Formats: sequence, structure tokens, C-alpha cells
Amino acid sequence: MTTDVAVVSRARSGDADAFRQLVERHSKMTFRVAYRMTGNEQDADDVVQETFLRAYRQLEHFEERADFGTWLHRIAVNCSLDLLRARSRADRNYGGDLESAELAGMARSEPQQDRLLMSADLQKQVTAAMGRLSSNERTAFVLRHFEGMPVEEIGETLGIQVNAAKHTIFRAVRKLRESLEPFVRPTPCNT
Amino acid sequence: MQHLTEEQLIAHYYHDGDAAVTESHLDSCDECRAHFETLRNVLALIDQLPIPERSDAYGEAVWNRLRWKMGKTGDAFSNSSGTTVGLNTPTHVRRRSAYGWVTAIAAAVAIAFLGGVLWHARTQQIARPQTVMARSAQPGPVQQAAAESASRDRLLLVVVGDHLDNSERMLLELTNADPKHSLDVSSESKRAGELVATNRIYRQTAARRGETRIASLLSDLEPVLVELSHAGSTLSPDEIAALQKRIDSKGLLFKVRVVSAQVGGQEAPAKAPRKGMDSL
Repeated sequence: MTTDVAVVSRARSGDADAFRQLVERHSKMTFRVAYRMTGNEQDADDVVQETFLRAYRQLEHFEERADFGTWLHRIAVNCSLDLLRARSRADRNYGGDLESAELAGMARSEPQQDRLLMSADLQKQVTAAMGRLSSNERTAFVLRHFEGMPVEEIGETLGIQVNAAKHTIFRAVRKLRESLEPFVRPTPCNT
Repeated sequence: MQHLTEEQLIAHYYHDGDAAVTESHLDSCDECRAHFETLRNVLALIDQLPIPERSDAYGEAVWNRLRWKMGKTGDAFSNSSGTTVGLNTPTHVRRRSAYGWVTAIAAAVAIAFLGGVLWHARTQQIARPQTVMARSAQPGPVQQAAAESASRDRLLLVVVGDHLDNSERMLLELTNADPKHSLDVSSESKRAGELVATNRIYRQTAARRGETRIASLLSDLEPVLVELSHAGSTLSPDEIAALQKRIDSKGLLFKVRVVSAQVGGQEAPAKAPRKGMDSL
């Protein structure tokens, strides 16, 4: 398989097939990031579209020495954040419909093998707990917890200081702990 | 003994804190160790939240939708055979442009209509406390409000019923298509484009009016319509198979038929506002 570097180079020179290859290679990864960030399938699909559209428009600014996947990942995070912020503004304006729509979206998803590990009710609780985070808290948490991004980079992504980013992660985890603590059985201490 | 703060425990979980100090404390403090275990269990619970699967055809589907959007931006790409993809692709872009206008006009008409319905509903809601207070003294306005509400319900049901009929025909054509061969969907794609705009408006309206069953169905229907509207003039066998799988996995055709039949059955004048509509 041709490396991303070669394909990106062809795409930059205007080759549509090359860009198609990049889309096909990175769509699933982009969807996973977007889904973690938004918690909603349709939103994640929209974010995937928007991510590639932005990538296409900014392709000339991409440094070929950089990793295309990492670059795309950053765009996906930014697109998701934009959507979360817009959603949060709309939520403030129109009431709490969006969270319940998000829950409905989760409930609609077809059960698959890996989902059976977690009961539908528990899934709803976890989704609801994630839904109660602010857009910044959710982004900071997803980037730290799932993507393993350093706090400094999270701060850059959110446009805030490192300390503020750290506290945003703390707040997010605390909120999640408060919401979900009743659903976890304490592990007995060894001593 | 001074216990660890929650922030220290969180930092420790993410390997951000002073590991040696924290671990040494956790070894000797049952309370902090229990808190840390709870934190770990909560975060493990979140790890289990599944991510929906996307098939191997997903990338291709994304590309097909994207190609159209890229064309809309006015950018142009050339493929490996030297043919330009994007706005300069004459026939399909001209057709898309025409679809865009039709969709925009259809959406504008629908927005105007439903905007009126919603505005009316909002003014009704604002006026409601006075109506309730005056209920015992003036039964007339209450009956009138109920009649108006029922009338709005019927309007929504009629337009949604028509919409579902159109959608059902389209889904039927897709599910009956032979996934071994490409399918010319130029006319279906155009119709889907028109249906997407109205679907969004009906979905939002239904959600606002508490018609969760209709809103949920329209929400399931939308991605299929969007995909079809972006499909271009021909669906490849893979695209047909992906769409059929999507329709099938959600039981979409069946749900559309059921709700369509129920909506049709509810078109008869209601004597009283139905549940979920009485808040308007």
C-alpha cells in the first residue's frame, strides 16, 4: 500500500483519486474520534464529512513531514468541538431537548456484539453523564482519557492555559464520578 | 494523616502526578485506596461505552457525499484519468444545482408553513395560563383552543403522511434493487434531495410537539435520504448493498409503513387533543 506521504503529495497536486484514497483510509478513525466527542452517530457522520472538507480546503497548508492521520485527527477534534459549542448554545436557547435527543440517538442504535457487555440502561446512564459535561469538559476528557493527549495540547486545542485545561479535566472526571458512582461496585480492599 | 485530594487521584490515574508519593500513600491509606478504586471503576465503565461499527464501505460512502460537497464549494479536482471532478463536471453539477433550487424552494415553503404552525402554537402556549384561569367562567375559548390544536395536529399528520408515502416508495425501490448491478438513481436522488429538507423540518416539528414516535422515525429516515440525495446518478452495487443493509437493520421500511398507516388512521378529526399535543 502506498504511504500517506505519497498519496497526500498526489492529492495536493489536484489528484481526486488520491484524496479519495485518503478519505477511504481515514474515515473509520475519524468517525471514532467524532463519535467519542459528540456521542451521537449522525453528528459523528456530519463531523466526518466536515473534517474531510476542511482537510481538503487546507491541504496546501499541510506540512508533508507531518503525519496526515494526526493532522486529520486534530481537524476532527476541532470540528467536533465546533459542533458541541454550537449545540451547547442552541441548548441554552431552546432548553434541554438536545440531551434527550442524544439519548434517543443512543437508544436507537442497533445492538451489536460488543455492546451486549453493557446493559442498555447503563449505556444510557453513561451517555447521560457524558451529556451533562460542558463542551470544553467533554472535549478535554475525551482527549485525555481516550486519545491520551497531553494536557498542554488539550489546552492549545481549547485555547486555554495548561492549568485551566487540567482543571477542566478534573471537573469533567469529578462530574462523571458523581453521576456514575452509584453504578459501580466498590472493589474490596486487599488489606 | 492528610488524605489525597480527588485532583491528585485523577492526576495519578492519568500518570500526571508524583507517582511515588501517591502510591506510597495509597499503600497505607484504605480510604484513599477505596476512592481511587471507585474512580478507576467509573472510568472503566466509560471505557465500555461502545462505538457503533462502520462497514468497510463507509469510506467510499463518505467520499461519494464529499465529492458532491467539494463540487459545491467551487473547487475542482482532476482524477487520475485527467477528468475534472467538481464544479467543472458539467452534467451532474448542473443537475445538482437545479436540485438545490427545487430543494430550497420546497424547504422555504415548508418552513413558512410550519413556522406559522409553530408561531401559532407558541402564542397559544403563552396565552394558556389566562385560558386556564378563565376556564370555569368561559368554556367557549377552551373548546376553541382544543379545536385549533386538533386542527394543527391534523395538518401535521397530513403533511407527514404524504412525506412518509413518498419515502416509502423510495425505500421500496431501493430494497427491491438487485445489489449485483449498478442502479440508475438520478430521479430518486433528486426526490431524496427534496425529501431531506422537508424531513428535517417535520422531524423538528414532531419533536417539539411531543410526537416522539414520528420524530424518531424521521430521524432514522434522514441519513438514508441524505445518502441517496448525494449518490449522484448511479449507485454502485456496494452502495446499494450498504443502503439496503441500513434500511434493513433499522427495520425502516416496516416502521415507515406502520407509522404511515397509524398517521393515516389519525387523520380523522380528533375530539380532544392527543397526548403530547396538549401542551400547545
